[in-house]
Amino acid sequence: MPGVDHEHKVLVDLLNRLYENLMRESTAEEVEEFLGEIYARISAHFALEENIMREQHYDQYSEHKADHERLLDEIRDIMDDHTAMENSDKDKFAERLKSWFVNHFKTQDARLHGRLS
Amino acid sequence: MMTRVLQYIGQVVAYGGFIIFVGYLSAAPAYVHLQPGQAQIKLSFSHAGKPVSECRERSDEELARLAPNMRVRKVCPRERSGVAVVLEVDDKLLYSDILQPSGLKKDGTSTTYRKFTVKAGKYKIKIKLKDDFRKSTTIKDVSKLNAGDFNYTYSRKVYLGAGKIMVIDFNKEADGFVFSF
Amino acid sequence: MLERTQRSGRRLFEWVEAGFNRIGGHRWNPFYQLGALSFFFFWIITVSGLYLYIFFRTGTTAAYESVEYLTIDQWYLGGVMRSLHRYASDAFVVTIVLHILREFFIGRYRYFRWFSWVTGVPLLWLTFAAGIGGYWLVWDSLAQYIAITTAEWLDWLPFLTDPIARNFLNQASMSDRFFSLLSFLHIAIPLFLLLGMWIHIQRMTLPRSNPTRILAVGTISALLVLSFILPATSQEPANLDNLVFTVNLDWFYLNFYPLLDKWSAGSIWALVFGVTLLLVVMPWLPPHKPEPVAVVDLENCNGCGRCFDDCPFGAVDMFPRTDNLPFSHEAVVDSALCASCGICVGSCPTATPFRRATALVPGIDMPQLKIADIRDKTVQAAEKLTGHDRVIVYGCRNGTDINRLQGSGVAVISLPCISALPPSFIDFVIARGHAEGVFLTGCQQGDCYYRLGIDWTEQRIAGLRDPALRKKVPRERVATCWSGPVGFARQKAELVSFRAQLLEMGPNRRNGAIINKTDTPDSKGG
Repeated sequence: MPGVDHEHKVLVDLLNRLYENLMRESTAEEVEEFLGEIYARISAHFALEENIMREQHYDQYSEHKADHERLLDEIRDIMDDHTAMENSDKDKFAERLKSWFVNHFKTQDARLHGRLS
Repeated sequence: MMTRVLQYIGQVVAYGGFIIFVGYLSAAPAYVHLQPGQAQIKLSFSHAGKPVSECRERSDEELARLAPNMRVRKVCPRERSGVAVVLEVDDKLLYSDILQPSGLKKDGTSTTYRKFTVKAGKYKIKIKLKDDFRKSTTIKDVSKLNAGDFNYTYSRKVYLGAGKIMVIDFNKEADGFVFSF
Repeated sequence: MLERTQRSGRRLFEWVEAGFNRIGGHRWNPFYQLGALSFFFFWIITVSGLYLYIFFRTGTTAAYESVEYLTIDQWYLGGVMRSLHRYASDAFVVTIVLHILREFFIGRYRYFRWFSWVTGVPLLWLTFAAGIGGYWLVWDSLAQYIAITTAEWLDWLPFLTDPIARNFLNQASMSDRFFSLLSFLHIAIPLFLLLGMWIHIQRMTLPRSNPTRILAVGTISALLVLSFILPATSQEPANLDNLVFTVNLDWFYLNFYPLLDKWSAGSIWALVFGVTLLLVVMPWLPPHKPEPVAVVDLENCNGCGRCFDDCPFGAVDMFPRTDNLPFSHEAVVDSALCASCGICVGSCPTATPFRRATALVPGIDMPQLKIADIRDKTVQAAEKLTGHDRVIVYGCRNGTDINRLQGSGVAVISLPCISALPPSFIDFVIARGHAEGVFLTGCQQGDCYYRLGIDWTEQRIAGLRDPALRKKVPRERVATCWSGPVGFARQKAELVSFRAQLLEMGPNRRNGAIINKTDTPDSKGG
């Protein structure tokens, strides 16, 4: 699924840039910008994946969807934490975000790709 | 917030109103179409007038020029005469007209359908018809015709009871007017 | 002038509907289901008609006798079927007329809705033809009156050669085969009517052609009760040699027949054609103020299909991609079908206010009220709010005038439809402390002006439909009030009690700390 792959690349790219920004100690607003953009792109990405899964009657649709919901929730948590957080937690933050997404991609999305391609 | 009981009552009233509205207007109020004590004369016929000119015979040369399947000696004009009709009741003119034949080539029938609602009672009916106007004729107005111009005339005394319909038809086969009631 | 008439008419309907809502709720309210009820009556007419058809005999005396047999000998079944057939037909006219009036007063016949309106016009002709034909079949004195009057009226048309009325001159003119023809027509016309009804509901997703069960059971029971207490009967047998003086008219179908006695056939034709023509051109009569349609931004659209799923009018379709992005589909808006309601925007995952205002271009947007503008309005309005019971009200413009709710602790934002609000906004307002609670209000439940807005909003909040409102958003801080335009008193009361509730709950906290909007970056000129 080229569209999904493309979005994965875009998201990973965004995450990397976010990580760099955090490392470079940019302003809270700039980080907010990235977080908001990531949230929107991930929401759209999950919506597209769910649509494809429904169309192809993917057998593990509900599990994969539950994972999406969990992820979106955690990203929102991260955004809210960021609004209230202190500077020292920044790098822990970026790692946390990146590892979750990569983990999701490794497990759920990898299985999805295997089943549908 | 209305109590359950009040709501049910309300719904019953709503359905009741609906039933009454539909049930009543479905057959009431009655409509008086005609006043009592009346009768009707219906004048209606569908009659083809005579052709507007004489038929003629084709000469042998003409026939030879035609295709073999078209060689009919007698040829009549398609166009038909209009039909003039005059209806008099108790010597008073009730209806008169010259009915043109229907169709683009004026070769169809002339038709009429007229209803006259009258009080029940005795009447003298006189009806006249002319169906042999020639192409050369210039008469467009019935009133210009003389009594002798009509080739069908009929006179009769009738008693029309209340609620009766008298139909005046014209049937060429029956050689004239047909009264039925 | 037109607008004033429509406003008054709409208010009258709303007043009546409010009463009906009080006695039976929105799921029972027949005014929200006039089209569906019409379909329902059509089915009752069809089933009862099939039963009658089995017993009907085509013949000048056989017709009347077969109907009398059903009415008298078989009064408990055939007679009931006959009465049901007649009364359901009358009810059919009632709901159709109310349906036309309602949609006219509400204005739901203009612009993209022209199709639904114009396809309804031939259905009127077919309905009346079917109903008149039905009364004709009985061949009683009413049928005689109808036959002669209709024939004389039709004979005014210039393209007929022999007058049709000659078929009804006297008893000798009638033939049995005429009833075969009538019988055939009485089946063919309703079949065409059914086809027309199907076409009539095409440009709608999930059209409602069945009433709710409670209303269906109620109306058919009412019609059955009527059928038993006032059975339909025939009048005197027809006799073309005699005059018909008085008839018991069915005023639902035969209302213009008395006019034919008073006016000429030509003027009745002019009236009928005039009304038909007027109905057909109505969608295009001034004032003509169409709204901008939804616009897709391909850079932000990945073809996820949520707008396609949510559009109540099928105006959004998914087509193969036309730009260079590797997605398989893109959303395309058909401007001929778009209602400008914005429900598609409410469903778009990229229409979230968490994106910064500068980059807030969603995959689909309404030009007249962009998501970025809604976000700005939200943030600016929130700045002015004070108090631990401050609330942002999002409402639709077909409900009450929500400006009347404004106050020092209440900000109002108006949308074309409440479902145009992405659920993300509710999350944004509460999580970022812009307000302590969000109050959603709009049309009366069961009567969303754009058909599915309330359903979608409720389902998104309940987590049953994507985009779902995040589970962690405290639902005690989200209130819905489907008041409709006449429900201002209730709306105001519910807002007051909602705010009291918020005060009792105390301010929203995160990890123990009060969320104050001054702490969020948004307030720094965002």
